[in-house]
Amino acid sequence: MASNNMQDIKRRIKSVRSTEHITNAMKLVSAAKLRKAKAAFERTSKNFHFIIEAIESVFNNADEVPEKYLPGNRETGKTCYIIVTSNRGLCGSYNSNVIKEAERGILGDPEKPALIAIGSRGRDYFDKRGHDIRCEYLGPPEAISFLEAKEICKPAIGMYDSGEVDEVRLVYTSFVNTLEQRAKSVTLLPFHIEHDPEVIKHERQVEYEPSVEEVFNYLVPKYVEIKVYGAIVESATCEHAARRMAMENATDNAREMLENLSLFYNRARQAAITDEIIEIVAGSEAQK
Amino acid sequence: MAKSFKLQVITPSKLFYEGDVELVIVRTLTGEEGYMADHSWACKLLDVGDIWIQEAGGKAFKGATVAGGFVDVMNDIIIYTDAAEWADDIDRERALEEQAAAENWLNEHLGPDENPEHIERAQISVSKQKARLHMTDSTSRRRK
Repeated sequence: MASNNMQDIKRRIKSVRSTEHITNAMKLVSAAKLRKAKAAFERTSKNFHFIIEAIESVFNNADEVPEKYLPGNRETGKTCYIIVTSNRGLCGSYNSNVIKEAERGILGDPEKPALIAIGSRGRDYFDKRGHDIRCEYLGPPEAISFLEAKEICKPAIGMYDSGEVDEVRLVYTSFVNTLEQRAKSVTLLPFHIEHDPEVIKHERQVEYEPSVEEVFNYLVPKYVEIKVYGAIVESATCEHAARRMAMENATDNAREMLENLSLFYNRARQAAITDEIIEIVAGSEAQK
Repeated sequence: MAKSFKLQVITPSKLFYEGDVELVIVRTLTGEEGYMADHSWACKLLDVGDIWIQEAGGKAFKGATVAGGFVDVMNDIIIYTDAAEWADDIDRERALEEQAAAENWLNEHLGPDENPEHIERAQISVSKQKARLHMTDSTSRRRK
């Protein structure tokens, strides 16, 4: 009986060990990918900072911002959500955090929203629940080009311009550090001008060419595209960070399990030996 | 020596150029314009075309093609564009090929049935290739 038990434990040790090998390898792969994604993220976020600042300062200083991009002139009815998730699992709560954040917004809406899904996890989840998915992007998020991001944004901007939706929101994961990522939801349109005290209102006359309106018609979609592109790059970084964390935890757990199992195994082996000794001793006692 | 100012050329994937320059010439939607230090503030849209940069203390111009964008002229100048390419990096053969391909496509498909988005994209591609070819043509002659 004891040897039976030993066999079982041995089998389990073998299976846990191979799981540990796999998770450990995945951890190393994610760490390498994270390094790459983080470099790309830092590069883009540094540049985007300038652009977004430039656009915000234009908005702050222009008197004739076209009304349709300003908050308050439309009743919030239908909303368009752009949801950035990953294509693969095994990354802890990364996807479910984004989905939860998006769902919180969706449940509070008076009308059924239109969704744009980036990444298959979010697409599958909302598709199953019968939401209206207008557009999807399922390629690997770290390899996305700006042109592709532009294509993704096109329907969102189109719906806003035609009046079909009154708000465009972006739900993605923001990168705090390698150990912490937070799901975040921001409003892209209407354009929320942040009355930042740091952005000083200049008194100088600024020339717009061809016209203020055309400059804004160019800048607003550009702002959305840049934000979405930035969010995708940032989310890709978060995905790898989350996966690295999840795999590290899995590896640690597997190691802990191995320790316990080998303890049980040794105990079972010792019990078997003790049993045998008892049998022998009992046998020799009986012979006397 | 003319007064210099800081110029940044930014594309989505990288900081294309950063430095002190004396003069930058861009093509706006209404025509070519050059900016020097202390220009009145402006925010203008750029056409697909070339930009020329004269660096502080230098005489020669550096040329690059850009794929549209905008220029924000304040004390410093920021040029934002979707894509940019230095004149030296342009592959003339490839530009010629792509222009021919896009033009062929347009000849075959131009009609009311075709998706206007596709037509627009092909037209943009043609103008981009033209800008590239123009740049490689002109570097030997202009602004040296």
